[in-house]
Amino acid sequence: MTKKHPAIQIDDLTVAYDYKPVLWDIDLVIPDGVLMAIVGPNGAGKSTLIKAILGIIEPIAGSVQVFGEPYKKQVDKVAYVPQKGSVDWDFPTTALDVVMMGTYGSLGWIKRPGQKEKKAALEALEKVGMLEFKSRQISQLSGGQQQRIFLARALVQSASIYLMDEPFQGVDATTEKAIINILKELRQAGKTLIVVHHDLQTVPEYFDWVTFLNVKGIASGPVKDIFNDDNLTKTYGINYKVAVNK
Amino acid sequence: MTSAQIEIQLIAALVAIACALPGTFLVLRKMAMISDAISHAILPGIVLGFFITHDLNSPILIVLAAITGVITVVLVEFIQKTGLVKEDTAIGLVFPALFSIGVILIAKNANDVHLDIDAVLLGELAFAPFDRLLIGGTDFGPKSLWVISCILLISLILLFLFFKELKLSTFDKGLATTLGFSPIILHYGLMTVSSITIVGAFDAVGAVLVVALIIAPAATAYLLTDDLKRMLVLSCIFGVLSAILGYWIANFLDASIAGSMTTVLGLVFLLVYLFAPKQGVLSNFFKERQQRIEVSLLVFLLHLQNHTEEKERHVNHLREHINWHKVQAKTVLELASKNNLVKISENIVSLTDKGQEFTDEALKYITTNKVTAIEELKNRFFLFRG
Repeated sequence: MTKKHPAIQIDDLTVAYDYKPVLWDIDLVIPDGVLMAIVGPNGAGKSTLIKAILGIIEPIAGSVQVFGEPYKKQVDKVAYVPQKGSVDWDFPTTALDVVMMGTYGSLGWIKRPGQKEKKAALEALEKVGMLEFKSRQISQLSGGQQQRIFLARALVQSASIYLMDEPFQGVDATTEKAIINILKELRQAGKTLIVVHHDLQTVPEYFDWVTFLNVKGIASGPVKDIFNDDNLTKTYGINYKVAVNK
Repeated sequence: MTSAQIEIQLIAALVAIACALPGTFLVLRKMAMISDAISHAILPGIVLGFFITHDLNSPILIVLAAITGVITVVLVEFIQKTGLVKEDTAIGLVFPALFSIGVILIAKNANDVHLDIDAVLLGELAFAPFDRLLIGGTDFGPKSLWVISCILLISLILLFLFFKELKLSTFDKGLATTLGFSPIILHYGLMTVSSITIVGAFDAVGAVLVVALIIAPAATAYLLTDDLKRMLVLSCIFGVLSAILGYWIANFLDASIAGSMTTVLGLVFLLVYLFAPKQGVLSNFFKERQQRIEVSLLVFLLHLQNHTEEKERHVNHLREHINWHKVQAKTVLELASKNNLVKISENIVSLTDKGQEFTDEALKYITTNKVTAIEELKNRFFLFRG
């Protein structure tokens, strides 16, 4: 990391489900320290891109580098906030326990979490305003609270890069504000944040970097330079105003 | 109790624990039916192992059968991955095929030896004490007791070492992958342990009823707890309880031990399913009924607050205008008066001061969508619940 590597560098990445490409020849450089939105229509491959970066999905071509090295060597530098719907919330466990799972990566195989990990988890819970719910069974939490738990779990990983798959999905305005404030705080602390985002209206307010994606990469750069009619039309195939108002 | 009886119960209890441990994870992974597939599909492995060793308790036989079990899982997943059939169909295609190979092998080659389909399917715990482990003429107890003890010990050690990893990959496969805990290794590890356990247990309860020992205790425990460790412990307790109780019922009725163990497992589940304090059918029924009545009460109080005119507050109006059944109107009205929220004079209902206060506060919470605050409010104001 002493050398000046971008946070993430993607070269010629192609991902296919059943031989049908969902991401086609993506080249993308994400600089260190940006708060970036990935936008694009449904089926554009936004979640797939994140999963490919994390190695959850094997690409059929291309490579991903995290700070100049393959992801597998940088596992501890990357935290992931999956879509809320990706897990079964009826699982018999508490909010605190889910947040503790974020510490498992640094523990490695076999070693158990102890007081140090518990303390980190409690701090993360406090940060997302969920401390009072620490002993709550996770199915007893509202959608917004579940999202905060996932965020807290990523926070305890104390990573350099955070990948988030629609963290604002199904949360109320208060939670959305709370989450974006934490994201901005993280960026100020020099972290890189990559967020799959749906609400085009809030892009200029929340983010400083944006990637337009629709199976192919359309454009990527600072929001103030490239968040414009032209790129939105290229990505969504319809007029910008229509896209924003959707 | 004779020593044979003690030995049988000991074997049954250990089998129950050995099954409950992987069972808990299978139930949570929504893979309960894969245990059914494994339990049938290991038959060809058992038969082949028996041809080689001529001993139902031989380690080689257990290894061969466990390999067949894992092959079953691989085949199911392979068929499923083609996307042409769903998982349950894939399971239904694979295990009868493997099972039938086992049946044919027995019919063609094992007619004259001690291996019949009944023994494989249903097991016979009653005979377990006769097959002794003799080393240099010394009796070390029933062989199957040793077999199941070894399997349970391996299970326990693996569970103790990889509890964190199993929990994580069961709850969130994606995170497990990104943190470097291969869910595939854990998945096949669990499948291997499940296969070995099923092979070890089939002597006691047979290849079919072992499914009950794997699924029922975990499903029962799941209804009672929000904590994975407690769920594991409860599963074991339910398993052992059913095994021992089942044994004595079989003893009393002079019936199949495996059959009555499974029956008890089913009954225990039914009892918990009906009477579990938090998630049982009965408790849910009463909770819903209470909610319904209390919501009606709130509607009623808001109506009273909105209307000063007497005809809107007449007792009969409740039935006619708010469109409630007679019974419900009566229940709601009674609940309101019992809690001193309303007073009735000459069939005209009006809010008391307390009722007024309650309604104002409730209205505030309803408009700001604070559901939990309403519950606290009820606790403060209500002497009696709906």
